[in-house]
Amino acid sequence: MNEQLVSMITQLVMEKMTNTSGTSSETAPPAEEQKQPLIKFYDSAAKHTEELSSPQATSDQSLIKLYQTASTKDYSHNTTNYDVSTTVETAKAFQFEEQNVSESVQAAKKHTPARIGVGRAGTRPKTKTWLKFRLDHAAAVDAVYGEVTEALLQKLNVFQVTTKVTDKEEYITRPDLGRRLSDEAKTLIQSTCKARPTVQIIISNGLSASAIEENVQDVYLALQQSLNNLNIEIGTTFYIDKGRVALMDEIGELLQAEVIVYLIGERPGLVSAESMSAYLCYQPRIGTVEADRMVISNIHKGGIPPLEAGAYLGTVVQKILQYKASGVNLVAKEG
Amino acid sequence: MKTEKIYSAGIDIGTSTTKMVVSRFLLKNVAGVTHVPRIEIIEKTVLHQSPIIKTPFLTKDIIDMEQIEKFIFQQYQVAQISPADISTGAIIITGESATKENAREVVHTLADAAGQFLVATAGPDLEGIIAAKGAGTVQQSKNTAKVIANIDIGGGTANIAVMQFGEVIGTCTLHVGGRLIEFQHGKVYSISPPIKQLMKHWSNPLQVGDSAEDARVAQLIQEMADFLANTLSGQLQDAQHPLLLGHLPNWHKPVDAIVFSGGVASCIYDHDCSQRQYDDIGEKLANMLLQHEQLQAFLWLQPQETARATVTGAGTQTTEISGATIQVDADVLPLKNIPVFNCSSVATKAFDQIVKTAVDRADALFSLDDHRVPFALYFSELPYLSFDDVHALCEAILRYLGTRSSKDIPIIIVIQSDYAKVIGQTLQAINPTVPILCIDQIKVETGDYIDIGEVLPSGVVPIVVKTLAFHSK
Repeated sequence: MNEQLVSMITQLVMEKMTNTSGTSSETAPPAEEQKQPLIKFYDSAAKHTEELSSPQATSDQSLIKLYQTASTKDYSHNTTNYDVSTTVETAKAFQFEEQNVSESVQAAKKHTPARIGVGRAGTRPKTKTWLKFRLDHAAAVDAVYGEVTEALLQKLNVFQVTTKVTDKEEYITRPDLGRRLSDEAKTLIQSTCKARPTVQIIISNGLSASAIEENVQDVYLALQQSLNNLNIEIGTTFYIDKGRVALMDEIGELLQAEVIVYLIGERPGLVSAESMSAYLCYQPRIGTVEADRMVISNIHKGGIPPLEAGAYLGTVVQKILQYKASGVNLVAKEG
Repeated sequence: MKTEKIYSAGIDIGTSTTKMVVSRFLLKNVAGVTHVPRIEIIEKTVLHQSPIIKTPFLTKDIIDMEQIEKFIFQQYQVAQISPADISTGAIIITGESATKENAREVVHTLADAAGQFLVATAGPDLEGIIAAKGAGTVQQSKNTAKVIANIDIGGGTANIAVMQFGEVIGTCTLHVGGRLIEFQHGKVYSISPPIKQLMKHWSNPLQVGDSAEDARVAQLIQEMADFLANTLSGQLQDAQHPLLLGHLPNWHKPVDAIVFSGGVASCIYDHDCSQRQYDDIGEKLANMLLQHEQLQAFLWLQPQETARATVTGAGTQTTEISGATIQVDADVLPLKNIPVFNCSSVATKAFDQIVKTAVDRADALFSLDDHRVPFALYFSELPYLSFDDVHALCEAILRYLGTRSSKDIPIIIVIQSDYAKVIGQTLQAINPTVPILCIDQIKVETGDYIDIGEVLPSGVVPIVVKTLAFHSK
């Protein structure tokens, strides 16, 4: 995650804290009146889930909004400490101490995105490490609760359908509903889509809307080009809100597609919240077993580059069509 | 999971000795099933090591190519491998042999005759690096933070390669070797030119015909050892020193540990020179190095190979495997001796201008009198590319290279990051007839040459990155 951002947030938090201890009677922070913050701190995230949908930032908007609902008495017994530091610390800009990692650690860091060589403060991680962790965790939460923007769907020229799921909570607790199309969706797909396509491409936010926002355009365009080069016919692509992987079976049944390529957001982790998967299956129908599905995962800027993934997917589709099989059957037929 | 076998040969024509190895590589997709495939060499087995023979010469300055060719084919028979089965490998001409009149002709002719895809290489820096790989020092340096110098001392030269964390950080070549002074019947039989140069300011230089036990012989060996020690400890400043071949040391970290390889090293570690049956200063030089006080300050590490380090390196360490998602026109392969031009300034995304400049400069560098030679455009610092960026780049490439390309001159694009397939497919989408080679995950530099082998069943191509710099006398 962006180090500058972490540093900036920390400075603002520090200023906030010194302000609070100095003038403890004033509780309304001026930042609260401003709109469209990039990052928000909540005392309780659950109450404000609607605020989490990826807000846009422009230069004149404030970066941070602080909700100061905790009572000020938390700070009162530390007042003397803050009073002492206020005069000294507000003078210079906040800066993290420099990191002095050895050459060996630097060499090891090149091989892993894991948080190694971060040092410690007593038995705890340092503030910077901890903040980065929180930031990455927040990005993961945002990815799950976020939505794919209408603008992107328009750019890709795809229409949108829904599953039997009504909201995010239900999507998470009822995977079975995410595997079935809503009735309106069925009608819409049947009236709009080309029937019996060789390749049907479908897109869903799944568990990460950010994954689709960041990667789907490049993967989709590269895949289209790749299939065109190979003279493979593509059906009518559409977007499914809150879909699960096995939903492809019902769509395969409905459209009688030869191959389905399903681009879907992966469950986010702390290294990347923007990772996308492409699931492929030969003739998915209701009752298809999991062993017939195959997947190319880890598609994002820090993993398999989206463009290269799209280009590679074309050749995988070609192979599936050649062997008339996917998943374990494909491996068996390939010999 | 499936593996794939390929055979590789390595041939080293050195100052005093010539040797050869045949090895087998096992290739496998090491990426998980949910990932884009990544093919790597997972196992290298040396199948046959030839005896070490004396490099045959017709005259003092001409290498006896026929003898070497005979030796190579004889060894293929012993190893029970047909030259047609050799799909990769390298032939390297090293030390003073690289200065002989027909050195260039020898490596190229032998490379063509002795295997389906065998690569000709030369150049003192490359020698040092290949020896360090063959001696296992590069691998050793991956496991430690220590800066390790591999010193490959053969008959004519000492090739130093310095590495840390498995990366070579500098090289240097010295005229320090076992065969610089030869004896016959207890008398000095020959003295090589750099040693004569070294004695220029002596009032009474050593002459051919002097006794082998002459004190001046010991003094010369002492000078060589001192010079080597000074080089390693970073005290060498004199670029004109007669014992220096080429550039001054170019590493910037102090050396912690040293490893010796090459013919002379077998005397150092085994304390017997049974492998070297030559009447020269090799054994004395080894003893001098063992006792040298300044060298004792370094940590001494053991090599895996001594006399055969370079040939093992040439046979097992020169081949790289391209990325698995590439776009290649199989008809134009294999291609040999393709010069590389690095378009390094791509970070700006002004593709048209960059490709135009690169093509102009590459033409000026590589083409003679309007005779176009194929060259590879190398993109090392590509920023994150969107689909539109790739189209802009590909249109620029086709604009400046599309019209001139043919079966003999395909468009060759090498990319450091993983973009070859999409760039290859985009070039194909815009112009379906032009022959394209688009490979990635290879690190090269302007001035390097690459050889690209035929497509293997797993869809990857073997690549050998090399230099072809011959020593000047």
